[in-house]
Amino acid sequence: MGRPLIHRSPIPGLGVSAGITLTMLTLVVLLPIGALLLKGATAGFPALWHEVNTRRVWGALFLSFRLSFYAALFNLVFGVALAWILVRYRFWGRRLIDAAVDLPFALPTAVAGIALTALYAPNGAFGALVKDLGFKIAYTPLGIFIALVFVGLPFVTRTVQPVIEEIDREVEEASATLGASRAHTIRHVILPMLAPAALTGFALSLARAVGEYGSVIFIAGNLPMKTEIAPLLIVIKLEEFNYVGATAIGLAMLVISFAMLFVINVVQVWSRRRIGYV
Amino acid sequence: MSDMPLRTWRPVTTEAPLFRTALIAVVLGILAVLLFAPLITVFYEALRKGWFAAITSLANPEALSAIKLTLLVAALAVPLNAVFGIAAAWFITKYDFRGKAFLITLIDLPFSVSPVVAGLCIVLTFGANTAFGGWLVGMGYPIVFALPGIVLASLFVTFPFVARELIPVMIEQGRAEEEAALTLGASGWRVFLTVTLPNVRWALLYGVLLANARAMGEFGAVAVVSGKIRGVTATMPITIEMMYNEYLSVAAFSLAGVLALLALVTLALKTALEIAHADALAANHRH
Repeated sequence: MGRPLIHRSPIPGLGVSAGITLTMLTLVVLLPIGALLLKGATAGFPALWHEVNTRRVWGALFLSFRLSFYAALFNLVFGVALAWILVRYRFWGRRLIDAAVDLPFALPTAVAGIALTALYAPNGAFGALVKDLGFKIAYTPLGIFIALVFVGLPFVTRTVQPVIEEIDREVEEASATLGASRAHTIRHVILPMLAPAALTGFALSLARAVGEYGSVIFIAGNLPMKTEIAPLLIVIKLEEFNYVGATAIGLAMLVISFAMLFVINVVQVWSRRRIGYV
Repeated sequence: MSDMPLRTWRPVTTEAPLFRTALIAVVLGILAVLLFAPLITVFYEALRKGWFAAITSLANPEALSAIKLTLLVAALAVPLNAVFGIAAAWFITKYDFRGKAFLITLIDLPFSVSPVVAGLCIVLTFGANTAFGGWLVGMGYPIVFALPGIVLASLFVTFPFVARELIPVMIEQGRAEEEAALTLGASGWRVFLTVTLPNVRWALLYGVLLANARAMGEFGAVAVVSGKIRGVTATMPITIEMMYNEYLSVAAFSLAGVLALLALVTLALKTALEIAHADALAANHRH
């Protein structure tokens, strides 16, 4: 009874491919993550809690997750709109825009970070513009928000785009024939079809933003309690050789991230089931 | 009178022209501010004091050693990543075994871990303060604050890239061609080199391209494991940070400009692959 662990196969190379896969996975990913968990376990929960339960750490965690959520929300709305115009509309430069959407994936985060700072700092092109209006972007949470929007920009567009391409126009025609206005069709026919893919993009964008470091630290100003993000606090703890402190924040970030991704996953399964055919 | 209906008619599956124009204008406006302006800023700031200043700042020993180190790290991490990606895709698509979905989840895990946490994990595994790391340092092979740690960090953050491109393509292509070649007496390696590899070469190149861009540009994980030793463990992104913090704006942006050019070349090659070899790539890259 019971399925065998591995079915017999006439194709050779099982030993080599399984060997390389499992060895590298263990050495590069599992062993290091295991070391983090082990460090946490040996330190014990009270010691970890003691490190996390300070106003500065809570402030950084709250700031990171709050701004990441806002940035992912912005990218959700913007990403769907961008995917829609790329698939459905024809305009000059469309192919170029389509290719450029992936720029945040290709551009190193440190490069994005210093460029955004130069642009949005009070003496930068955009920074000077809003300064006259009495605003400040760089060195405020708004600056962090902009950097997080930048790094998460492509996710929703890239997950939603193939779904829009697949939409059967007859469904929209049927909706119109039955007397629905275009707005009604978009709201009740098209957007529900895009929801699961858009949520996937939202989750990816959120996960990326929470862990983002390079593009944020330049524009953030890094004031404790105000503009200090959680990943930066890990780096600071490491520079102080406070390994337990760094481990505690790292584990807290992992736990909160996975909890969020789990909730999004549940919502996604629910929306997929409700719509049925996606 | 006869052209009246033609002017007002539009298909029911499109939005009003005014709405379309407004949506395009808003989306492109946001892209201009968030995406294109930063890119232009990199080159603008690099060339602020002219081409000569930009080029000479790249020729200084610190910048040169950073460029060399980044090329070396990519030359080590990307082939290792490709070997892993090919092995993992072969293992996952050519055999049926229990726990396959779990294995794929583990391979994807680095995508949901912050690069800084990835660096922290490597420090906690191989750092000089750990038993294993201390022993390695004693033997004269330090990992953290040295080249192996940077390669390891780059491998961690690029881990799923090649495997993710190959797995869907190899699932779609099935096993029949390989089985036919085996029946005709070809050896395993020959089947791989003459049947599988030609079928997946564009997907492999696509994955390698993305992994290379990420490996050369990685900042967070490398910042933690490298120790940022000038001329020794400072990669290009790390050197950009150091120069920027020292107010060497032209030098920092010139080096950033080199990485931005690399990003543009990566995007161009990636788009070319998507257009020319769409049917040989994973389905979500086809347009």
